[in-house]
Amino acid sequence: MSLDLENVSSQLDAVVSGIRIQSAGHKTRLEEAIKAIKSSDGSAINKKRVEGKFSWPTPLYSPHPERTYPPLEAPENYCVLATDGSHIDVDRHLPLQCSLINISKVSLQYGNQPQAHLSSQPRLYTRDHGIKETKSPGVRALSLEGSLLSAKRSVDEIIALAELAEQAPQQLPVLALVDGSLELWGPTIQASPEYIREALINQGLISSFARLQEIARRQPLALAAYISLPRSAGVADGLRLTSCPYDPVNCELHCSGIVDGDRPCDTVGGLLDRELFSTILPPGERSELFYSTSSIVQEYYGPHAVAFYYLNTGDESARVEVPNWVAQDQNLLALSHTLILNQCKKGLGYPAAIMEAHEQAVINIQDREMFRRMVEDTLANEGLPVYTSEKDRSKRLRWL
Amino acid sequence: MAIESLQNTVLGEITEASSAEFTVDCHELYASPPLGGLVKTEDSEEVFAVVRSISTAPIDPTRRPVARGKNEPDRDAVYRKNPQLEKLLRTEFLATIVGHRASDGYHQYLPPQPPKIHTFVHICTTEEIFSFTQKLEFLPLLLFGPMPLADEVTAAFLRPAATSHPDPNSFLLAAGREISRLLNRDLQRLNALLRRIRP
Repeated sequence: MSLDLENVSSQLDAVVSGIRIQSAGHKTRLEEAIKAIKSSDGSAINKKRVEGKFSWPTPLYSPHPERTYPPLEAPENYCVLATDGSHIDVDRHLPLQCSLINISKVSLQYGNQPQAHLSSQPRLYTRDHGIKETKSPGVRALSLEGSLLSAKRSVDEIIALAELAEQAPQQLPVLALVDGSLELWGPTIQASPEYIREALINQGLISSFARLQEIARRQPLALAAYISLPRSAGVADGLRLTSCPYDPVNCELHCSGIVDGDRPCDTVGGLLDRELFSTILPPGERSELFYSTSSIVQEYYGPHAVAFYYLNTGDESARVEVPNWVAQDQNLLALSHTLILNQCKKGLGYPAAIMEAHEQAVINIQDREMFRRMVEDTLANEGLPVYTSEKDRSKRLRWL
Repeated sequence: MAIESLQNTVLGEITEASSAEFTVDCHELYASPPLGGLVKTEDSEEVFAVVRSISTAPIDPTRRPVARGKNEPDRDAVYRKNPQLEKLLRTEFLATIVGHRASDGYHQYLPPQPPKIHTFVHICTTEEIFSFTQKLEFLPLLLFGPMPLADEVTAAFLRPAATSHPDPNSFLLAAGREISRLLNRDLQRLNALLRRIRP
């Protein structure tokens, strides 16, 4: 039987009705949040954040979080680099336990000598390529699969970006872009052993950031990560601290018995950052900078600590993350803002370079099936046993 | 693109081939020979073919081009400001095989084997067009093949081919006589084609 769409439809109707009922309250909270950010003192919020006890993550605010900045004029000649990745996870129904990461590289040069270079490089990983504990050779390597494979892919995208930047024309301003976040986070990273963090974060991510920073010392290079339709709520949640009547803030002590929605801070709660900034940012302008306070960033990132701003591209409020060395350099910060905006115009709402990087990296359904067949054929050609699980065979044959 | 600028360069590679025709993927966007142009394969046994159709489309057929020039002065500015377009579009041409050259000279009939995939393709020089059109026995391959607009393509080939001859009018008259012989049962088609190649 196929999916019972009629059943799904009635459930969807109920959900949408619920959203409609909530929207009136949402509008009031948004208005309160706008008032709060326009009258707030970033330093006071930061002080409350450090002294308080509460459960939601809040970034470090700049002193005037309500400020917005217009873009500058784009340089005549410049280069935009982007990388992206796609992967095929380990399939335990396949006779060979392997995964594949496909990383794309895109270089678009604008101005007097326009050029484009688009490419992708697949890499196959088997059990032998897992991340090993070098200090204890006896410990088994951790296989690259699931969320660890996703993390490895994110790191490979930044490594590829550093490689691409080292080959970029030396006389041009460069915007180096990735899709997603500069922060390597998630439960896998949080819970992984130290040697995994060392391999992925220090040896992979941070050393690539350092390579990019090194290039930025000799030519204007802005590294940035672009998040379309961001779901972050850190800045909006930080405003809760302004409406909290308790000093220091202590949720457990003062509000543990109060249901969600009735707490004093709920007058500005339940909002996403993009909802807030889509109201206060004029088209083309960016917000003030905010700084990530995540434990991974604080522990590992050093000079590459993540700052971010929101940008009204004209089509959406996107989140742009930059390393601290870009955030602290007004020219690089403005370069990132101007060129990302420019890229969004060229890409009809989304950065053209990232879009092309995605197109180069994507592994479609046909490619996945071809990969599967290649694995089976290669084993068969070498006279090795080709087997599959009965479950997989049953799914493929779909007999009656 | 001017024929002179294409001579002595590899136009592209064959991506599909059969006994009667082959498809060429051009190495450069829009760098195809003209409709009716004579091309040859780079092989020990050169295969000659006449360009019968040229097309440019996205490499990925699921990605449709969109208008980008609303605020640009002209088409070239659109390409200049979106350099990736050159890499995402592809020009192809389809050529009807009209003969081949073996060790014993030109043959104006189909080769025993179609050219292999990835064989390089060049545009023929004026001298090669002159040499190949010393005989007109290839005309049935153009006129009676399965291609649509066969007469348009034949005329598009004969008109510039005539200029490779010292007396272009004599060549076109000879070609007209041969076409009259081949199409003598279809006077409407014959008249239309002769009007297209009239000196």
